Parts: sequence; C-alpha cells; structure tokens
Amino acid sequence: MKYDNEQQTQESSRGSVSWFRRFMAVVHYEMLWNIRKKKFIGVIAFAFLISSIGLVLPFILGDVIPQNAHFAITYGADSLSLFLFALVIAMNSMSSEFESGTIVPLLTKPVSRTTVFLGKLFAAFIVLLISFTVLFTYTTVGSIFVFGAQSDLGLLPVVLFGNIISAFIWVSMLLAMGTITKNTILTVIIAAGLFISLFMALPIVSVLSGPSTALNYFPGTGATGTLITADNSEFSVNAGTDSLGVNMVYALLYPGQNVNFFKTDIWSIQIGDQTLPAMELLYTESIGFIALRGLVIALAYIVVFLLIGWLAFKKTQINE
Amino acid sequence: MDYAIETDSLTKNYGGLIAVNNLNLKVQKNSIHGFLGPNGAGKTTTLKMLMGLLKPSKGSAKVLGREVHVDDANSRLKIGYMPELPKFPKHLKCIELLDIYGKMYNMTKQQRAEQIPKLINLVGLKGREKDYIGKYSKGMQQRIGIAQALLNNPELVILDEPSIGLDPVGMVEVRELIKEIAKDGRTVFLSSHLLFEVEQICDHVTIINKGSVLASDTVQTVSSMFIGPALIHLEIANLTNDVIFAVEKLPFVKKIYHEGIKLTVQVTSHDADVKVKVSKEITNAGGVIVGMSQKTSTLEDVFIQLIGGARTQ
Ligand SMILES: Nc1ncnc2c1ncn2[C@@H]1O[C@H](COP(=O)(O)OP(=O)(O)OP(=O)(O)O)[C@@H](O)[C@H]1O
Ligand SMILES: [Mg+2]
Repeated sequence: MKYDNEQQTQESSRGSVSWFRRFMAVVHYEMLWNIRKKKFIGVIAFAFLISSIGLVLPFILGDVIPQNAHFAITYGADSLSLFLFALVIAMNSMSSEFESGTIVPLLTKPVSRTTVFLGKLFAAFIVLLISFTVLFTYTTVGSIFVFGAQSDLGLLPVVLFGNIISAFIWVSMLLAMGTITKNTILTVIIAAGLFISLFMALPIVSVLSGPSTALNYFPGTGATGTLITADNSEFSVNAGTDSLGVNMVYALLYPGQNVNFFKTDIWSIQIGDQTLPAMELLYTESIGFIALRGLVIALAYIVVFLLIGWLAFKKTQINE
Repeated sequence: MDYAIETDSLTKNYGGLIAVNNLNLKVQKNSIHGFLGPNGAGKTTTLKMLMGLLKPSKGSAKVLGREVHVDDANSRLKIGYMPELPKFPKHLKCIELLDIYGKMYNMTKQQRAEQIPKLINLVGLKGREKDYIGKYSKGMQQRIGIAQALLNNPELVILDEPSIGLDPVGMVEVRELIKEIAKDGRTVFLSSHLLFEVEQICDHVTIINKGSVLASDTVQTVSSMFIGPALIHLEIANLTNDVIFAVEKLPFVKKIYHEGIKLTVQVTSHDADVKVKVSKEITNAGGVIVGMSQKTSTLEDVFIQLIGGARTQ
C-alpha cells in the first residue's frame, strides 16, 4: 500500500502542473458523466433534428428553392434550440451532485470548489462545442444539396463561436440556479419560466413599442431591423444576443453597412377598403456595432451568472 | 504533544439545535481513535467540520497540524475520508472513479496503476471493478468508500461508520483492514455507534452525546472509569487459610471475602492476566478451583451508564 511519497512532494512543488492535473481530473469526471447520460445522445439527435427541419422546410413551403450561397454561414440556431441545448447540458451538472450525495466524496478530495466549478464549466463548454460542431457541419453539408454551392465557409467558426456564446448565457444561468437551489426540477422550472416569459413578452413589447434598443439587453432575439448591403440586397436582422453568430458574420461580410429599424403602425394607413401598415424609420445602427454590442451583453450575462454560481458554490455548506 | 486532530470549542448550531457543543477533541498521532455516540450525537457533523465541508458556528480545528478552513484543497492531500453511507456517480466504473480520484490526489500514472488494483483487491471488489457503480449494492459502494479513503496513502484516515451496511463477514474484514492500516504509522479516526467494534479495534475512544464529550481516553481507562474495581468470584473445593493468605499477598488484590467454599476477590486491575495469576496462586497453595467468574466493566456498561444518565437528566 505504499508508494513513493517523495515523488508526490516534488510534484506538488510544481504547483501549476499539479493544479492542471486536478482540473483535468474534474473535467474527465464530468465528461464521462455527461457523455454517458442518455441525454447526450438526445442532444446530438436534437441537433440533427433542428438542422433537418431548417433544410427540409423550403421543400415543404416552397415551389422554387432560392439558391443561397451564404445559407451555411448565416444559419443560427433559433432561440428555443439555444435554450434547449443549454438546458440539457447544464440543468443537473451542479444540482445532481447534491441530489445524489456525490458532492461529498468529490469535495473531500484535494480539489478546491473553484476547480470543481471551472471543471464543470469547461466540460459543459466541450459538450456544447461538440453538439454545435455536429449541428453546423450537418447543416453545411445539407445546405449544399438544398441551396447550392456555399461560399465564405471560412466564416463557419465565427457563427459557431457566436452560437456557443448565445447558448452559454443559459448554460451559466442554469449552473448558477443549480448551485443555489441544489435541485434539478426547481432549476428547470425557474429557467424555463424565465425563458418562456422573455420569449413571449419581448415580441409583444416589440409590436407595441416598436423595435426599441432596450430589447437587446435581454437574452433573446432583440430588436428586428433591416440590413441593406452595398448592392442593395436586404436581410432581416435580429439585434439580440440569440443572433450573435449571424450578426458577427454579417458584420464581416458587409462591414460598415447599416441596419434600419422601423416601427410598424398597423392601424395607420387606409387605402380604399384596405388598411396597410405604415413603416416609420426609428433609428439606424451599423451592423458592426450591433454585433459588438450583442457580444458584450452576452458576455456580461455570462460573467454575472457565473460569478453568482461560483460564489454560491464557494459559500455553500455541504449538508448532504 | 503533536496531535493528528485537535479541536478547540468546536461548535455547530442548526438554528436552535446545537449539533456539536464546545467540542475539545484530541486524537493522538498513530492511534486508532473511536468516536462513539448514539444516533444524532453529532459525530457526522464533527467529521464534516474537520473536512471543511461545514463551517463551524464557533471554535476551530487543527488537522495534521494545519488549521481547518472551508475548502482548503491542499490540506486534504494527506487525509483520506470516507463519508457516512457514501454515494458515487452511477455512470462511472469503480476503476475509473478511483483513477480520477487518484489524479485529484496528484498521483502519477504509475502510482495509480500500482495502488488501485491493490485497493480493489483489499476491499474485495476484484472481478467487479469494471462494473458501473450504478450496479453496485449498498455494501459494495461502502467498500469503494473505504478504497477511496486509502487511495493517497494518507497520514490520517477519517471513517464515518465504516462497517454500517456490511454483512458480518464484511464487518470483520473491515475491522481487520482498519487495524492493518494503522500499522504503518497512520492515524485512524472512526465514528461508530457499535461498542464492540470500538472495543475490538480502537486504542482510544471519545464518547459523545448531544454534541458534548462525555469521556475521552484510552479504551481501557474509559472502560474502567465508571464502574468500581473488578470482582473475581471463585469456588474452591478445599478453601484453606493457606489459600486465602496466598491470594491476599498478591499486589493487585484489594480485598477478599469468603463464605463456605465461595471466595470473592476484589482487584484493582482490569488486566486479563489477573485471573490467571489468582488461579495460579490458589493452585500453588493447594486449592482446587471448581468455579470461576469475573465481572469486569465493558465499554458497553460505561456507554449505557453515560448515555442513560444523560437521557434521564
Ligand atoms: N442539515 C441539518 N440541518 C438541521 N439539523 C441537522 C442537520 N444535520 C444534522 N442535524 C442535526 O444535528 C444533530 C447531529 O447530527 P449528526 O448527523 O452529526 O449525528 P450522528 O452522530 O452522525 O448520528 P448517526 O449515528 O445517526 O449518524 C442531529 O440532531 C441532527 O438532527
Ligand atoms: Mg452520522
């Protein structure tokens, strides 16, 4: 039962190596746990499903499928998918440790709570990265068949990165809630409640008050405007955190171009028997600014949620 | 004196309930120290404070000479801890879990490759180590609990009710194992509510009830602390004065009474060899012993006296 203790002392003097090994042990612990949960297979299947819907939808809806060389790099996961990915990946990462009591043997190992928290966070990032890589690869291949040859595929990592950041708002929120409540069901209820309220409330506000910039400060689609490129093509743009990936791609494809935000007054114009909605230009923002603001807001949410979760984890008493 | 564990007025309140009350505990290095108390006495709460899982409401603790703080990772490098009824992730195999824990203890690949199979063998999980923990029985999880507490070759092993949930053979094995662990100069601190367990394997014991220490010393001292001197009852076929004088002369004999063939010897020592010495003297003096019995106090007597006393107060 003995082994060389000297070796151990020598190594612990190299603090960073030792910390990294322990950190990677937590990541390994979490990854094995994650990958073997049936939910992981569910996440991958879900990625294929939502991508397939996006690809097949034009066939169902349309007669003529427009060729779109930028489909792959301007494909962003929708709000619900972003939330669901985050939910499945992060909802019980913290809480189930408390619920099952496995937190006790874990925290009595020489790993600090900060290391455990960072390890779990990193593992969630890896799982999200894998899921989104699967999603975007599949979408890219599929879009070549559906929308014809794809160009500027070098921007795929940008859209991938943007989508990961968007989903990470929910991941960090779920980690924080899971740590505070120590209860998976409660975490899901709170997160879903928040998501649904935002998902329903923001579009209503948007219709009533127009595409206010205030909308962009909540996680979601934000204000909707129209991007007009140099060659006069028009794209609908959502300025919120959910469309971060696509907006970053637009900012790179059409640098310096503006997005116009209109207020639609549904009751205003009367032409004969018909009532036509009137469009009033409210304001204009550059696409670069929109992408940057989205990134800053998303990162701010992530940092705040993670700080809350980390502090809660540092402070918690282990009664399990 | 350098202690493995030393607490100073360690206290934990849960609302109005005082789970641990001004506990001053001293565990000597290189001893097997039992932490004995009935359900709800505050054993687990104390151990959790020693491991930095719970923050004391008051007081402090030193483990292996180092002040305990909540979440001091490096202080745990030399401690092995087995929680009460430990639970491990169901989705991991036993061998994977031990390997990951080994990495957390900063063990090299080679150290892990040597230590893990040994431990799996030691706790009797050989052949099942590649099964998912979700398929393990309660007793098997308990055995992982013991294995993971020994992984880092710790200086101090803290075990919270190590034999609970084990079958009789398993209990005996674990007791033997604990004695074995302590041989390499390690300190073992184990909580239990099983008196015979503590009596069999520990050299020191602390008895706790309602969060307070009632007694703390060597098992022998605690056992003899509360019941007066031990009595040896003898029946001797030919009880002559020679026999009586011979017994009286023994240094540890305090008093003797005799009536007919019955001889009662009150001794001051609780050593097992007292009986042997007395019977030898009698035989040498020509007495023929036809019956002999001894009433010595056990830890159980002390425990029941202490706890019973506390309950009726
Ligand atoms: N999280 C908690 N909240 C409130 N009270 C608690 C909590 N944990 C323990 N207690 C109380 O503290 C007291 C001591 O509990 P503890 O678990 O330390 O006892 P124990 O000696 O380990 O008992 P057992 O032999 O049953 O394991 C009990 O009265 C218990 O009800
Ligand atoms: Mg207990």
